[in-house]
Amino acid sequence: MLIHIEDLTRTYQMGSSEVRALRGVDLDIDTGEFAAIVGRSGSGKSTLMHLLGCLDRPTRGRYLLAGTPVESLEDVPLSKIRNERIGFVFQSFNLIAQHNVLENVELPMIYGGVPADERRERALRILDRVGLADKTQHRPSELSGGECQRVAIARAIAVEPPLVLADEPTGNLDSSTGESIMQLFDDLHRQGTTILLVTHSSEVADRANRIIEMHDGSVLRDTGGNGSSNGHGGA
Amino acid sequence: MGIVFGVGAVISMMSIGEGAKQEAIEQVKLLGTNNIRVKQLELTGDRKDEAAQSFSRGLTYDDAMLLRRRLSPGMLVAPVKFVDSDVRKGARQGVAKVVGTTPQYAEITSFDVSDGRFLTDLDLRDYKRVAVIGSEVADELFGFQDPVGQSVRIGQNDFSVVGVMEAKAIREGEGATVIKVRNINKDVYIPVTSAIRRFSWADDPFRVAEIAVRVPESDDLYPTSAAITDLLLQAHNDAVDFEVMVPEELLAQARRTQRLFTIVMGSIAGIALLVGGIGIMNIMLANVSERTREIGIRRAIGATRRDILFQFLIETVMICLIGGALGIGFGFGLAAVITAYAKWKTAFSMSSVIIAVGTSVTIGLIFGLFPARRAADLDPVQALRFE
Repeated sequence: MLIHIEDLTRTYQMGSSEVRALRGVDLDIDTGEFAAIVGRSGSGKSTLMHLLGCLDRPTRGRYLLAGTPVESLEDVPLSKIRNERIGFVFQSFNLIAQHNVLENVELPMIYGGVPADERRERALRILDRVGLADKTQHRPSELSGGECQRVAIARAIAVEPPLVLADEPTGNLDSSTGESIMQLFDDLHRQGTTILLVTHSSEVADRANRIIEMHDGSVLRDTGGNGSSNGHGGA
Repeated sequence: MGIVFGVGAVISMMSIGEGAKQEAIEQVKLLGTNNIRVKQLELTGDRKDEAAQSFSRGLTYDDAMLLRRRLSPGMLVAPVKFVDSDVRKGARQGVAKVVGTTPQYAEITSFDVSDGRFLTDLDLRDYKRVAVIGSEVADELFGFQDPVGQSVRIGQNDFSVVGVMEAKAIREGEGATVIKVRNINKDVYIPVTSAIRRFSWADDPFRVAEIAVRVPESDDLYPTSAAITDLLLQAHNDAVDFEVMVPEELLAQARRTQRLFTIVMGSIAGIALLVGGIGIMNIMLANVSERTREIGIRRAIGATRRDILFQFLIETVMICLIGGALGIGFGFGLAAVITAYAKWKTAFSMSSVIIAVGTSVTIGLIFGLFPARRAADLDPVQALRFE
């Protein structure tokens, strides 16, 4: 089991009131699944993704990532997990404007201490895979939206993480570009990467083989790829 | 900008200070650190009337003899009488200062002959017409010939050259701010008695411009100068028409001035650096603010808090180093300009550069730490949401 969360809760203070973004969620996600997390704004889907991506810490509950409890890890080991085991793809690409494409893709590996030649070689290989081998020296401002997202995906998978989290990856793209991006995700899935995708769009959600619907901080419905939210796994 | 100015101020100030200090040391070495100069004081107004009423003759050869008699035997005393006369060799006229003095003068000023001999007591006793010429005078009047044994014409008389002085490295008068010294390579020394006897058209022939005294130990300097003052006041009927200068004192004074100057400039520079540092800090805070999103991204892809901290700290230090480099250039440029216009000597000092660089880095670290910590402590989730 890649992801196992129990009673995962996240509350925070907004002024004088307390906001319960996530209320005691239980969830299991197996290796190799392609799951879509859907729901309205405020349903808790982004909070869930941030917690699963180790960007945030839960107020309460347990989170086992590939068997390792991560909810109480310190900053350094947590950063390492984000660096090596998780790849992020964001709606607004989130590339670093002052660096060129190649440097952007290499950045996680720089933080991970990968030696320079290996870094370069991996980055070039990945960029080739996403079809951007000829634009390695360009700046993000010189690329189209679809190309930027490809760079972001390349950056996310350069370290070959087992888990990729995507937050509305096609939100800022037109439908045809969005389609090519989704194809990349399909490819990734076929190669065995576990993909969690947060989306508004039902078309996008239908590409996944499991849909988890959030509402008001809890799981409303779970089509359960390898089992439902109440189940304990299964074939 | 503050950093640039602050560092520049530090550098130029230290250069000026260094230059002044070096120059003062040189000048004093020239005069001799164990020497006392008694100088004729030109009086004006009331003081002059008072002196006239005391019938003081001013500083004279007799004063020199008095000091020689009354000061302890270890002291060397030599009168210095300037003679207003030109020096010729054949058709050539040299730029020279004719100085009437005694044999002790060479020892007092640590200034010796390179060729021939200096004046002797015999020369003085017999009012001999002998001269010892400075190195530049020798070059000017004799070129490559050996001057010893030849004659020069001083005023209406022929003098026989018995010696040539060694060449001394001198800073010309206009550069000297601490103690003014003439170029002694242009001196021509003759026996003071001959000077008195043969060049006596100006008021009192026994008048001397200075009396040079050398004491054996530096501890003797102050007591001796006090003794000299007493003796001469008595001889001059309490007329204060002379000045007793202890170059050591001048050096100490110069050092004190330099120290004060350094403190003042240092404070100003310090304030400039502080202002600059705060400016840097504000700039970096704004920078961090603008790059909040970027920080979030970096954290998401695996940067630790420390990675972020170092990134911004290093950026700040780099900016400060650039400011520091500009400041160093600015400082040296300023020092060079000051040398050209005010004619103060300035000297390059390696330590000032090291201090400047060190200061830049330190300022960068101190004032960069707060913004860098702000950056590092940003919550990744919040940072990513930032527009």
